[in-house]
Amino acid sequence: MILNQSMVAADGFEKHLVNRKRKKHWGLKAAGFTLMLTSMVDMFSMLVVFLLQTFSSSPEILVTKGVELPNSITPAQVREAPVLAISSDGFLYLDQEKVGKTEDISKKPNGLLKKLNVIKKNWAKSHTTPFTGEINLQADKEIQSTVVAQIMGILTSSQFQSIELAVVGHR
Amino acid sequence: MRKKTGLGQKKELDAQLNLTPFIDLLSTCVCFLLITAVWIEIGTVEVKQSHGTSAAQEKKETFDLDLVFKDPTQMNVNLKKNGKRVQGLKVEGETFEALMANLNETLISQVLTFKKKSIEIATATVTPRSTVDYGSLISTLDVLRKNKIVNIGVLTASGN
Repeated sequence: MILNQSMVAADGFEKHLVNRKRKKHWGLKAAGFTLMLTSMVDMFSMLVVFLLQTFSSSPEILVTKGVELPNSITPAQVREAPVLAISSDGFLYLDQEKVGKTEDISKKPNGLLKKLNVIKKNWAKSHTTPFTGEINLQADKEIQSTVVAQIMGILTSSQFQSIELAVVGHR
Repeated sequence: MRKKTGLGQKKELDAQLNLTPFIDLLSTCVCFLLITAVWIEIGTVEVKQSHGTSAAQEKKETFDLDLVFKDPTQMNVNLKKNGKRVQGLKVEGETFEALMANLNETLISQVLTFKKKSIEIATATVTPRSTVDYGSLISTLDVLRKNKIVNIGVLTASGN
């Protein structure tokens, strides 16, 4: 018995078998799917546009390892300046380079002052405008505020008077 | 499909966009942007350490604000005019959050409207204590900045 043959001369059972075979084929056709390319391209384009819009053009500063920044509801935009970090492990970093123990530097700030002077000299070489005294200060939110105040005092004495305290923005 | 007729050779007018490189490009773009995107917004709180320099003495007849922490739940708020204290307030709260809420209320009701007149604060200074952590200091600066007091300095406590 050949199921694909014409059903004209077939009896009832054969007709039934032929119909079943055809239904199976229809079922198989329905199971196969085609990828909706238009929707997929639409989705991709929208994703690209969204991600490009969220792409920040402002300068980004690298957060030093071991520093958990405090939250703030009134953050301003980050400006490009040297980064001084006071980490929770008790060390002080200037532009990702370890300067020494925060406690020791608070008492004897000569090492830090020398490095700050180098930054000022480099500024004078590369800029014609007067020194702005800008510096980004990153400090862990759990450390004592008096430690930060002491470091800020050292910075002020070294003409870094515009101190930008790095925070995580929560508007 | 429409075809060019009359010139012997038949050329197709309808161009077909090759979708495969297009999808490749888009998926590469999405991957690149997802990897390089910065999800945490890092901002700054500007502090101008003008205390003790000539910048602090420029203006006359302006009010200055002085916040001195006693502990994380208590602080003194001093309003000064030409260096002399004209009002001293004690702000307290059961928790640090309550202290910040009370400070905000005090600033609005008793400091920025001094003797029923709205005043401007030229400079504000915050004196922290060792019992107050840095995160709390930033919250205090936030309260000041929220009330449009932007010239803020942080002092070092003499006794801690």
